[in-house]
Amino acid sequence: MLLVFGTFYMAFVDPERIYARAFADLHGWVKGRAGEERFSPEPGQPSVTDGDGASFAAAGEDVSGPDAASSAEEAGEGGLPASRGAEEVAYVSVGDDYFADAVFIGDSRIVGMYEYGGLEETARFCAETGMTIYKLLETEVPSGEGREKATVEEILSGQTFGKVYLMVGINELGTGTPETFLAKYAEVVERIRELQPDAVIYIQGIIKVTDARSAQGDYITNEGIEERNAGLSLLADNVRVYYLDVNPVVCDGTGGLIPDYTFDGVHLKAQYIPLWKEYLEEHAVGNVPETE
Amino acid sequence: MLFSSIEFLLFFLPLFFILYGCTPSRYKNMALLAGSLFFYASGDLRHLPFLAASLAVNYFLGLHLGVSGRKNGRRDKEKIHRRRRRLLVLAVAGNLAGLVFFKVRETFGSGAEMPLGISFYTFQMLSYLIDVYRGDAPRERSLVRLADYALLFPRMGSGPIVRYPDIRGELAERRFGLEDIQSGLKWFVVGLSAKVLLADRIGILWQEAQTAGFVSLSTPMIWLSAIAYSMKLYFDFCGYSVMAVGLGRMLGFRLPENFRTPYMARTVRDFYRRWHITLGKWFCRYVYIPLGGSRRGELRTAANLLCVWLLTALWHGLTPNFLIWGGVLWLCIVAERQLGRIPAVKRLKVLPHLYLWAVIPVTWMCFAITDLGQLGVCLGRMFGVLEGINVRSGDWIDALRRYGLLFAASFAGCTPVVRGLYRRWKDCRLVELLLVVLFWVCVWRITVEGKNPFMYLHF
Repeated sequence: MLLVFGTFYMAFVDPERIYARAFADLHGWVKGRAGEERFSPEPGQPSVTDGDGASFAAAGEDVSGPDAASSAEEAGEGGLPASRGAEEVAYVSVGDDYFADAVFIGDSRIVGMYEYGGLEETARFCAETGMTIYKLLETEVPSGEGREKATVEEILSGQTFGKVYLMVGINELGTGTPETFLAKYAEVVERIRELQPDAVIYIQGIIKVTDARSAQGDYITNEGIEERNAGLSLLADNVRVYYLDVNPVVCDGTGGLIPDYTFDGVHLKAQYIPLWKEYLEEHAVGNVPETE
Repeated sequence: MLFSSIEFLLFFLPLFFILYGCTPSRYKNMALLAGSLFFYASGDLRHLPFLAASLAVNYFLGLHLGVSGRKNGRRDKEKIHRRRRRLLVLAVAGNLAGLVFFKVRETFGSGAEMPLGISFYTFQMLSYLIDVYRGDAPRERSLVRLADYALLFPRMGSGPIVRYPDIRGELAERRFGLEDIQSGLKWFVVGLSAKVLLADRIGILWQEAQTAGFVSLSTPMIWLSAIAYSMKLYFDFCGYSVMAVGLGRMLGFRLPENFRTPYMARTVRDFYRRWHITLGKWFCRYVYIPLGGSRRGELRTAANLLCVWLLTALWHGLTPNFLIWGGVLWLCIVAERQLGRIPAVKRLKVLPHLYLWAVIPVTWMCFAITDLGQLGVCLGRMFGVLEGINVRSGDWIDALRRYGLLFAASFAGCTPVVRGLYRRWKDCRLVELLLVVLFWVCVWRITVEGKNPFMYLHF
């Protein structure tokens, strides 16, 4: 038995990787120690203080520069991009049947919406825990026919939807930069528009985490979420693509998710999912212009 | 460093055993201590000075407590005896104060982490000091050996709690050979599989239940979640203990087993004779029996039991839910003592099992949920007295579909069958091959799930 173990070690285990990992941990540990004493933002990340309007907007312009030029025309407007959508778009209130031709695509937050939003019979859900924007179109989800699975792209090509709701971004907070994230997001939105030319696309801002979770010391921070959300809001053209941000409904004064609303600091408890659904029902787009 | 981490499995374990194997027998204890200290320090360096100081003090206390005074006159003897008693009180109080300090700081203070395995370390030390005082064990003159006893890395994190006289011989001299390494490694793989392939995976259901919130779970679902938690706790803890025994064996130690198929018990009393056996024995030896055990009438026995369970509850944690947990168990045990006298009850075979399987998950809920409000909601939903909010009908069918296989595997793992099969076939080549495969499957799972022991850390 030992012999077999030994052979396995020689054959499969790459010592470099193991040592690299241990060193990375040690490094992270030392860094964590330092971080405990005094919070210092990572170099290169613009610091956002207390969700203050001015710096919020600055962060948004900062990160979305390259993509804004390619996908959102009004980027030059300046002002407060995060609140722009809410002010300019005349949203209407709708009922559950509005979602009859909707598809929800996203990570575990959308899984929560599927399980406890009460729309599982009405709308279509393409949700997978751990989904990221990088793998969104290739993610395999139940195809709706028996035990078969299909990729999100296949589902979007096979069926016509009136509305597409997106919610991804928390898993990839630690991957890439806000720029690469937003570039990929813009690309995915573009592809969805190709596949669903008549659909309204709702980009949902990433739901924030509790202050305690944000301060835990890993890549998941509300600063990171705010930064990416500011960029996401610029992807909206308010004609076909809209930006919705449910955070004001579920966050408290400090800017984080309300601790009572969640167990793990990340996911809304089932009893509060309806708040999110109601928000979506109050922020629906009424008349969609025909495609040229 | 967890046993079920890549760092430990592919880095510490092989390196340590190669170095340990190369060390001449005379220095093996030193090497073991160095390994244990490294293991300890990899968790948190800050507590090392505390540990060193505690060890040194306990070492000298042990030396003084072990003074027999046999050669001196009668008056001297009495003087020495009084001094030893005072010292023992001081030693017990001092060690407990350390434990209480860290527990209080963790629970009510800044939430700073406790030193790794401090509860186990303290109990192990107390056991040594009391045994030396009572004359059940000779004092240990070698600081290295005492440190090895207290810090032995396989059992540092969560037991088993070993009495000093039980491993004294092995600390002085033990075999180190391929045969022991092989059989220890096999046992280790069994424990690792229980932890990684059962506990960590069925634990996800429990995590999902908490994420959704108890108030939104249907009654069958919340029972399923409670059972999932019971399984997770068992395979996690038992797996860890089995890994510890296996590692001990690899080093040449025979550590005691900590679990004996507890879920097969018929009474709560029996359950806790099979669950975390070494802790139960510790309380029995150092608290229950000195208080008079069961020899002073029923009332006194009940009071003694209450004392033991109160201390057990506090040992696990200082939040009130642990008191509820201990209190419920105490009530069950006292009631069982009375009911057990009825001949008709003694003849029951199936009903006691059902009783246990209903009671234990409920008590585990009291153990798991530290927030009293949430605990109330959970129990309320379990017994259907609390109205749910936004409950998804059929949630438990969905859970059964996804976790049914895992439940079946866990239930099988709770029976003595698996253990019997292992005993019978462990030397068969095919089983050895299976264990090697299991080991690498575990490594693969751990890598897939990243550093996080649970999938739930991905969103």
